[in-house]
Amino acid sequence: MEITLKGRPIVAGHATGRALVSSKPLTFLGGVDPKSGVIVEVGHDLYGKCIKDSILCFPHGHGSTVGSFILYALAKSGLAPKAIINLIADPVVVVGAVIANIPMVDGIDITKIANGDIVEVDGERGVVRVYRGS
Amino acid sequence: MYLTREEERIYDGEMGWAYQVSMRILVKLGELYGASRLIPIESAHISGVSYKTVGDAAIEFLRALSESNGRVKVRATINPSGVDQDRILSNILPSDLVNRQMEIVRLYEEIGATLTLTCTPYYIETPKSGAHISWAESSAVIYANSIIGSWTNREGGPSALASALIGKTPDYGLHRPENRQPSVLVKVEAKLNSEADYGALGLYLGRILGEKIPLIQGLPGAGETDLKQMGAAMATSGMVPMFHIDRIGRSAGGIEKITVDERDIIKTRLDLSTSSGRPDLVFIGCPHCSPNEIRLVSELIRGRRVRSDVRLWICTSNFIREKMSEHARIIESAGGRVMCGTCAVVTWLKNLGVETIMTNSAKTAYYARLLDGVGVIFAPISECINVACQ
Repeated sequence: MEITLKGRPIVAGHATGRALVSSKPLTFLGGVDPKSGVIVEVGHDLYGKCIKDSILCFPHGHGSTVGSFILYALAKSGLAPKAIINLIADPVVVVGAVIANIPMVDGIDITKIANGDIVEVDGERGVVRVYRGS
Repeated sequence: MYLTREEERIYDGEMGWAYQVSMRILVKLGELYGASRLIPIESAHISGVSYKTVGDAAIEFLRALSESNGRVKVRATINPSGVDQDRILSNILPSDLVNRQMEIVRLYEEIGATLTLTCTPYYIETPKSGAHISWAESSAVIYANSIIGSWTNREGGPSALASALIGKTPDYGLHRPENRQPSVLVKVEAKLNSEADYGALGLYLGRILGEKIPLIQGLPGAGETDLKQMGAAMATSGMVPMFHIDRIGRSAGGIEKITVDERDIIKTRLDLSTSSGRPDLVFIGCPHCSPNEIRLVSELIRGRRVRSDVRLWICTSNFIREKMSEHARIIESAGGRVMCGTCAVVTWLKNLGVETIMTNSAKTAYYARLLDGVGVIFAPISECINVACQ
């Protein structure tokens, strides 16, 4: 099965990888361990998961603007997601994706993406292709 | 979003990575919020200086900016750090924390920031009324918009930094007059007796208002310190970027109304105090003290002596301490400490052996419990000084 979703381009770049999908907003400062890339926010539906090389899908970010620097640090250590897909972009994640140079698209109904789907992100045009094995 | 030819060249990287990444931050934020262009700013104020809050991630980013020859284009002031400028805390705190903190401040200096190390840069140099500025630090943002009348969005550390390097900001949000109008009328029907009551009011309102701008009636006696405390608290529990004070009884039809009574203030004050024990730290200076607050403390403390089992910190900028040096001397000779470049929120209270803090700041009362897990006693400045000296 293949679905194409059209959103808004935020940060240019192409990436393909496995989806890591959350239905909850994500806080980067305090919520993601910059030394391991593991989500450490207690009670989060991705608690304990590593975001490295994933296509990270979540509704939006929240919390401190320092969160942008966490994305940068993750990218420097090779622990960043390959791309970010949001329902609504917020400044913390947008600035983080810009400085870390992570392709990013928003305006996507992320409920159409499931954990483990292969997802192709075109950050230039804001297009997301979802491939699911039957 | 319209970019000039020069802005486009920066966006494409012709001036190097530091300016390119800064321009990209501004353009992306501008696109996100419907800006039409970039406008020049008079100054930037950058948060994200304390190693306690920004950690190693910010060090790496600042180092990369500096190595790529990024330098600020406008006056850029910075927030307090985790250590004081007399290095009293540096001698107590773990050297690893201190070294990393010093590295952050050094990198800000390298990119050309003015090392004000204060959250009240407006006491050093007040921006012009009506000037566009790009300020982070929520208490300074709400003060600038509401009390000074300069125009800024609620920037975060990274976006204020980007604005400082470019000298511009995208023209959305509070840079447009139509977005500076109140959308909620607040009627205060409580008698407010101190700056702590104003802080409690701010904290109560912030929770209800979220991002909305209020027009507040019923504060005829509010002074500058009262409004500073109220604003700082409002921007702590909410994301309020600005408030209007109505002293003339404007009619405000067609907008939502909120009434605040005595019980709301009392309940908020009680909720902020989590401890009934004795404080080991009494802290005044969140936001950093004005000359008037330094004068007030010196008057309250003159002829008295701070107890040996209590630390009294009066936090402000180095600039204000020098300006008020005689009053600072009175406070210090009574056993208090006029501390510059830091505050109780951005330093490591637990590492300093603090278990219970007493403060007149609703913002500190709110954060000390969350960030440091210490006990809190919230009371007006006169009571704070009394307890410190008993």
